[in-house]
Amino acid sequence: MRFSHRFRPLAARLALLASVIGPGIITANVDNDAGGITTYSIAGAHFGYTILWIMPLLAVVLIIVQELSARLGVVTGKGLADLIRESLGVRVTALVVGVLLIANLANTVSEFAGVAAGMEIFGVSKFISVPIAAVLVWLLIVRGNYRTVERVFLVASAIYLAYVAAGILEHPDWPLIGRSLVTPQFHFEKGYITILITIIGTTIAPWMQFYQQSAIADKGLEPSDYAYERIDVIIGSLFAIGVAVFITISCAATLHASGNRIETAKDAALALRSLAGPYASILFAVGLLNASVFSAAILPLSTAYVFCEAFGWESGVSRRIGEAPAFFGIFTAIIVIGAGIILLPVRSLVQMMILSQTLNGILLPLILVVMLILVNNRGLMGEKFVNGKFLNTVSITVIVLLTALTGMLVVTSLAG
Amino acid sequence: MPYISELIGKPVADVDGVRIGYLRDIVAGVKGAMPHPQVVALEIMRASHAGVMRASRVGVKRPAGAVLVPFSEVVVLVAPGIPLAHTLAGIAPYVPLENDLFLVRDILDQQIIDVNGVRVVRVNDLELARVNGAFYLANVDIGSAGLLRRLGLLRLLPRRARRSVAGRGGPGIISWDDVEPISKNRQLRLKVPGEKITDLHPADLAEIISDLGRSDGSTLLESLDAKTAAGALEEVETDFQARLVKTMPDEKVADVLEEMSPDEAADLLAELPEKRSESLLDLMGKEDAADVRKLLAYPEGSAGGIMTTEFITVQAARTAAQAMRAIRLSAHEAETIFYVYVTDRKKKLEGVFSLKELVLAEPKTPVAQFMHERIMSVNLRDSQDTVAQLVSKYNLLAVPVVDDEGRLHGIVTADDALDKIIPTAWKKRLPRLYH
Repeated sequence: MRFSHRFRPLAARLALLASVIGPGIITANVDNDAGGITTYSIAGAHFGYTILWIMPLLAVVLIIVQELSARLGVVTGKGLADLIRESLGVRVTALVVGVLLIANLANTVSEFAGVAAGMEIFGVSKFISVPIAAVLVWLLIVRGNYRTVERVFLVASAIYLAYVAAGILEHPDWPLIGRSLVTPQFHFEKGYITILITIIGTTIAPWMQFYQQSAIADKGLEPSDYAYERIDVIIGSLFAIGVAVFITISCAATLHASGNRIETAKDAALALRSLAGPYASILFAVGLLNASVFSAAILPLSTAYVFCEAFGWESGVSRRIGEAPAFFGIFTAIIVIGAGIILLPVRSLVQMMILSQTLNGILLPLILVVMLILVNNRGLMGEKFVNGKFLNTVSITVIVLLTALTGMLVVTSLAG
Repeated sequence: MPYISELIGKPVADVDGVRIGYLRDIVAGVKGAMPHPQVVALEIMRASHAGVMRASRVGVKRPAGAVLVPFSEVVVLVAPGIPLAHTLAGIAPYVPLENDLFLVRDILDQQIIDVNGVRVVRVNDLELARVNGAFYLANVDIGSAGLLRRLGLLRLLPRRARRSVAGRGGPGIISWDDVEPISKNRQLRLKVPGEKITDLHPADLAEIISDLGRSDGSTLLESLDAKTAAGALEEVETDFQARLVKTMPDEKVADVLEEMSPDEAADLLAELPEKRSESLLDLMGKEDAADVRKLLAYPEGSAGGIMTTEFITVQAARTAAQAMRAIRLSAHEAETIFYVYVTDRKKKLEGVFSLKELVLAEPKTPVAQFMHERIMSVNLRDSQDTVAQLVSKYNLLAVPVVDDEGRLHGIVTADDALDKIIPTAWKKRLPRLYH
C-alpha cells in the first residue's frame, strides 16, 4: 500500500541527529569564554607545551561530568535547579542558586572585560564597545527570534576555529606537540600548580551543568534521544578542548619561545602581532571578542532560567516582559551590572576573574555531589538510566579529584 | 492559621510526655464533597532513627523509623511540641489510601497548576485551616513571603515590611480550589483531573502543557479525557505533539486522534514513526482512520496535505430548506458551516453558497438558483502558498480542494492556510529558549 509520502526517509533520520545536537556543543563553546582564553593563553605563554598533557585528561573528565547532566536532563525532562528544589528542598536550593548568581555575575563581568580587551586591540574605547555589546546581546535575546539566535550561535561556534588558524599560522613544532599531549610532566613549582588547577576550574564550571540540562529539558529531548545527545556532548567537549589546545599552542609557539610573559588575553594578542604577524593577532582578537559576546549572552540567560526554575517564576524568552518580570529583570540586571562594572575605573579585571573562579570552585563539588545523588536515584532515573557500579566508581573518583583540586584553587586564590 | 513550614520538624511527644521524634510529613485525604483535603494522619520520624534518611524526599519508600499516626491520636497540632493521646505502642498506625496526599513529599516544592492564572507555579508553603476541630489544606503559598518563611528570613524583616509581603489574600496566596497538582514518579498520580482543568480553554490548556515540558506535560495530557486532550493537542506545535504522545498508550492516543480534526490528526501521525502510525490507524474507528489515511497520502506542502475532509455538501436540486437541514445534521463535525458546497452525484464541484445567502433565500428555492458557479478552488497538488494567496486575495473563509477531474476532496480553512505561512515569521519566535 502506498501509505504516505510524508514519512521521513532514512536520509532524513540524520536530520533527526542534527535536530538533537545543540545543547552540548553550545555549552562547550561558551566554556571557552574570556576567562578560559586568558587562562589557556597564560598557560601557553608561561609554560609552553609542558602544560598540554592535561588537555586529553580534561576532555575525559569534561565528557563524564557533562554526560551526567545530559542524562539527568534527557530522563527527567527537567532542569537541574528544578530537580534540586524538588528533591533537596528550599534551603539547599537557595544556597546553590545564590552562589551561582554571584559566580555567574562575576563571570559576566569578565566576559565584558573580554569585549573591552578585544575591541581595544582594534583601537576602540571600552566606553563605546561595552555598551554596544550589552545592548546587542540584550536585543538579540529579548527581541530576536529563534532562527536568528540559533544562526548567530552556530556562526559564533565556527568562529572559534580562528584559534586553530592562529595556531597553524605560527608553524609550531607538531611532533613536539604530539609528544607533549601524551606525556604527563609535573613541575613542583607554585605557578605551574596554580595554572594547572585554574585550567581545570575554568574548563569545568558549575553553570555548564545547569545550562546544558536546562537546554536539554527546554528542547524537550527524551530518553530515546539519549544516544544522539551523548554524541552531542562528546563532540562539544572534544571541540572545546581542541580549541583550548590551539590557544595554548599559539601562545606557546611564539610567546613562550621568545620569553614573553603576559597577564591577559589582550597582551597575548598584542604580543602575537610582532611575533607571528598581524593575521595571527587579528584572528586571536576576533576569537576573544566572539567568545566574550557569545558568553555574555548565554550566562545572564542561564542565570535567569536557573532562578525561575528554582523559585517557580514565569520564564521564557517568548513571553512578554510584563508576563515574566522576574525573568527579564534578572537577565537585564546581570547584563547592566556586568557591563557597568567594566566602565567603572576598576583596578584590575583579573581579580574579577579570580573571584568568579573561586566561587566556581566552591560551588562545583556541591553541584557534582548533588548530581551524583540524583543520578543514583532509581525512582527518578528508572532502571535503564540509573548510574551503574562502574559509572559510580568513575564519577566518584572524578568528583574527589576535582574537589581536591578546586579546594586547592580556592585556598590559593584566597591566600593570594 | 498554621503554615506547614512552621509545623514540620516540631517535636512530638506521647501521652507520658516522652519525646518520640519529630513531625516529618502531614497526610491529607479528600473526604466526601469537601474539595479541600482533610488532615488524616501525621508522619513522625522516630528520634532513634532521625537523621538517617532526611535527605531522601525523592524516593517513594518511607524510610525506616517513620510512623504514620492517625490524626485522631493528635491532641494539639499547633503547639510548640505536639502531644499524642496514647503511647506509640498503643496507637494503631494509619494505613495510607491510594489518593492520600503527603503534603511535604507530594506538594511542597513541586510544580502545581494555577487554574485561574493559567500558569505553572512552584509551591513555597501550604496553609492549613481549622474547621470544627479538623484541619484542611486551605491555601497554597507561591509568593515570596512563603520563600522567606521557609528560609527562616521572614522574622528578620521589619514588622511593616513583613506585613506587606505576608498580607493575607495577597498575590502570593491562592486557594486550593484554584490549583491542580501534578505528580510524577510518585504513587499518587493525577487519575481524574477535576473540572477545573477540563473547563479551561484548549489554548490555555495547551499553554500549561508546554510550560510543564515534555515529561509532566504528557502525564497531564494522558489524564485528560480524549476530547479535552484532542482540543489541547491541536493548539500545540506538531513536533511537540509528537513528543507528548510518545509515551502514551496506543489506545489512548487512538481515542484522542479520533477526536482531533482529520487534518490535525494526519499532521501528528506523519510526525510519528511509520510503524506506530500504522498501528494507531488500525486502532482508530474505521471512518476516522479512512479520512486520515486519505490525507496522509498527499505531500506535506500541498493543499491536499493541509485540507480537512469535514465540510458540508448538497446537491444542486435540493431546496434551501433541505440545505438548512443538511447543515443542522453535520454542523458539529464540519470545520466551517459558512460555506456549503454543491456537488453532483460523482462529487464533482458545481457551486458554492454562503450561510448568509442560504438564510436570505426562500425555503423552497432550489440551491442551484442562488449558488455561485464561478468558484475559486485549488488542486490537491497546489502548494500552500497558492492556497494562502487565494485566501487572502479573495478574503475567503475556506477554499475547496479538487482533483484533476474537478471532484471535491476537502477544504482548506483560512486559519489553516495562513497557519502554514505565518509561523516562520513569528510563531517560531523562540518558543522556548535554548535550541
